[in-house]
Amino acid sequence: MLKKILFYLILALILFVTLFPLYWVVTTSLKTLRDAFAMPPVWLFAPTLENYGKVLTNPAFIKGFANSMIISITASVLAIAIAAFAAYGIVQQGPERRRSLEGFVLSLRIAPVILFVIPTYYLSMRLGLLNSHGLLIAIYAFINIPFAISLLVTFFEEVPKEMREAGLMDGASELRVFWHIVLPVVRGGLVATFILCVLFTWNEFFIALVLSGRNTQTLPVTITSFLTFQGIEWGALTAAATLIMLPMIILGMLVQGTVVRGMAAGSVKG
Amino acid sequence: MKRHGMHHISRNHARMFYQPVVGFLALAAFALLGYAIWLCLHNISLMTTKGTQFVGFQNFVRLATDWRGLQALWRTVLFVVLATSFEVILGIAIALFLDQEFRGKKFVRAVILVPMIMTPVIAGLTWRFLFNAQSGMINYWLSTIGVAPVDWLGNPNVALYAVLVADIWQWTPFVVLLAMSTLETIPKDLVEAARMDGASEVRIIWHVILPMLRRTLAVAALIRAIDSVKAFDLFYIMTKGGPALSTETQNLYGYTVAFTNFDISYAMTIALFLTIVTNIALMLLNRFAMPKGVR
Repeated sequence: MLKKILFYLILALILFVTLFPLYWVVTTSLKTLRDAFAMPPVWLFAPTLENYGKVLTNPAFIKGFANSMIISITASVLAIAIAAFAAYGIVQQGPERRRSLEGFVLSLRIAPVILFVIPTYYLSMRLGLLNSHGLLIAIYAFINIPFAISLLVTFFEEVPKEMREAGLMDGASELRVFWHIVLPVVRGGLVATFILCVLFTWNEFFIALVLSGRNTQTLPVTITSFLTFQGIEWGALTAAATLIMLPMIILGMLVQGTVVRGMAAGSVKG
Repeated sequence: MKRHGMHHISRNHARMFYQPVVGFLALAAFALLGYAIWLCLHNISLMTTKGTQFVGFQNFVRLATDWRGLQALWRTVLFVVLATSFEVILGIAIALFLDQEFRGKKFVRAVILVPMIMTPVIAGLTWRFLFNAQSGMINYWLSTIGVAPVDWLGNPNVALYAVLVADIWQWTPFVVLLAMSTLETIPKDLVEAARMDGASEVRIIWHVILPMLRRTLAVAALIRAIDSVKAFDLFYIMTKGGPALSTETQNLYGYTVAFTNFDISYAMTIALFLTIVTNIALMLLNRFAMPKGVR
């Protein structure tokens, strides 16, 4: 009995530490300025949507939201489309070739982003490409492809080999087999990979900070410009933060099982 | 043309599915690497009008004697070692703790995911908010137990550790989830047998469970180490490298040199150096510290 109580106490502590920061940001966004900075903190308060009103009428935030949507969705669609072909081809190879291909794809993700962001910045500045959506979409698609390949390979290999061979025996072309037989089977994996690509692009900061301009800023960069406003407006800031992260947390929850797999596949494979 | 049998032909066709993609990626990677090296060997800076000259290894010599860079390197090493060890040890402890049947296990597993899918910039903001010297919750709680307020992000001696706390909060769950899923594959009868023999729980964990977790732990440590070398968002949002450069890591230093001083070539040299060091560390780790079977 005592052991049981102790267990639940520690469990509560773990959950508290994990969730308190999130809880605090979301509740602060619903507080008035006075409540937000009250010491000792106010635990019970009358919620207000004032902060959300402020954020949602801020043209910079709306612009950032639109940019984030356009860039993350387009780049992810592109990445998935290309990566699906590659992953399909890789899975069909013999073990040795497959290992070396996967190793190469993996190695593309180990280098620090700064290594290629500086040349890209310098080159696009000289070509006058900074501040265009196309540049960011291309870069994010480029980054997402190796990640999507590593993850999709794990889904494609679960497709029984017999399905493909039966299709080929019946005289279907490889492309037809890929399109009509294999893709429908891995639909769930494609969706999960797509969501992870969107999640990654939506959350990404460094590349956006360097390569985006006034018109192409994504939300993580937009929110940092809120930081330098005469002092920090924590009310509006936490409301913006909530609007940025909550949809992604919900999406992430939907593909729960894939998140860890994706992170492992994306960085280093065991 | 004669057919060589189904397998041969279909394998060739399947190759066409990846060759263009992998070929393009390889080409892009090599072109970029070549360009990066070219940049390192010149003196391109957007702040001077001197024009581009070939300077050989001058940038590398400069890096080797750059006090600010060396300190940033030391800080990077410190951060990587601390972050990785805390996350792995804490993560494995929590996973072992959760490795039993209880109500709401599914819920706990889902909730633990939250920090790692939270937008890193917002995680940084959140912790900046919590660590705020005047109105932050951390100092409020410390005050309730009678500890004097600490200027977490403003004191050069503690700022790095404040960022470390945020990093640990965000990434320990990754280790927990990875370890939890491995623990579920461990045959329970082995543990039972050891228990029957009268082994203590500590001995069971140490001699039975941990050895089976080695591979997972090694992979988790590797991933966390690589990612913490590259850590940027939390630092940028929480401290921007300050106060008094006390949280400036190599990655952040490279960013500042590139996009505040616009010293493109030197920034590239820092980035290239960081990449090389990371890769060497990885290779050594792979060769000497990894148990057999972990690539």
